[in-house]
Amino acid sequence: MVEFERRLERLFAEAPELPDAGPFADRVERRLDAGWTARRWLIGAAGVVGGVIGASQLMVSNLFQRVETAGDSARLLSTSINHISAGTDWMAAISSGGAVVWAAAAMAVVMMGFVLTRVIGEI
Amino acid sequence: MTGSGHSRFASQHDVELCGLAATGERRAFGELVRRHGSAVRGVLRRMGAQGSEADDVAQDAFLTAFERIAEFRGEGTFAGWVKKIAARLYLRRLQRDRRLGAMTAETVEDEAPHSDADAVIDLDGALKQLGAAERLCVSLCFGAGLSHAEAAEALNLPLGTVKSHVKRGLDKLRTRLAPDDGAALEGRRGNG
Repeated sequence: MVEFERRLERLFAEAPELPDAGPFADRVERRLDAGWTARRWLIGAAGVVGGVIGASQLMVSNLFQRVETAGDSARLLSTSINHISAGTDWMAAISSGGAVVWAAAAMAVVMMGFVLTRVIGEI
Repeated sequence: MTGSGHSRFASQHDVELCGLAATGERRAFGELVRRHGSAVRGVLRRMGAQGSEADDVAQDAFLTAFERIAEFRGEGTFAGWVKKIAARLYLRRLQRDRRLGAMTAETVEDEAPHSDADAVIDLDGALKQLGAAERLCVSLCFGAGLSHAEAAEALNLPLGTVKSHVKRGLDKLRTRLAPDDGAALEGRRGNG
């Protein structure tokens, strides 16, 4: 009868505490920790690989030549601006031309690695 | 691993611990494992899994539960939710090892189970008297909380077959556990 079924459900629910309940929980926690450590390493490695790939792509795409061109353009722009108005400190910084472009390229690589890391983290 | 980290969570409700686990707090989830690990392992053993296999599946079930903790809405108990996950993982393992077919296709013994009213018979002992298919079906429906329809789907068996296994299993269990009860059992559990 239904009463017996309820009794059976209670019997099933009254599972005795097993003597190794603590060690069992510790094993599960260790596996959780191991999984998270592995995931962190994986994400970090993916970020590094992504950064390296991004950097190598920049290297092989005639970047040096383009930097030179961009540097020339920056210098030209800076000179033009200086002609138009009195230069300020930050304008003077721009006059270094090539360094700014290199810094921008480095920032792009870092950002690429960061975005890749975040995307993999979300996955 | 042990110590202050666990005592910090000892007073918190399961739902609160699930919320913390959902934010990645593994120690909070460890407290849930500490509380309900035995119950989950117990259901698997009652389904017929041997000790070490039951522990392996239970561990996998808890890891799966941690991965999917955001899906747990607190509509049932946490233990019930993990028991269902564990039962399904165990069935999948049986299927993978090609053991499930043999268990569910076994011939049913029609001999009446011997009644021993004088002896103290616990549930585990009584379950061992059932055929493998009956034991699986009864444990799935009464231990893991699956409906007949869910059990039929998980076992890949017709609904009627599962109901028959449950009914026969209940009849035998009643003879062992409640020999003084009169009427035969009706397989009324579930939504199937």
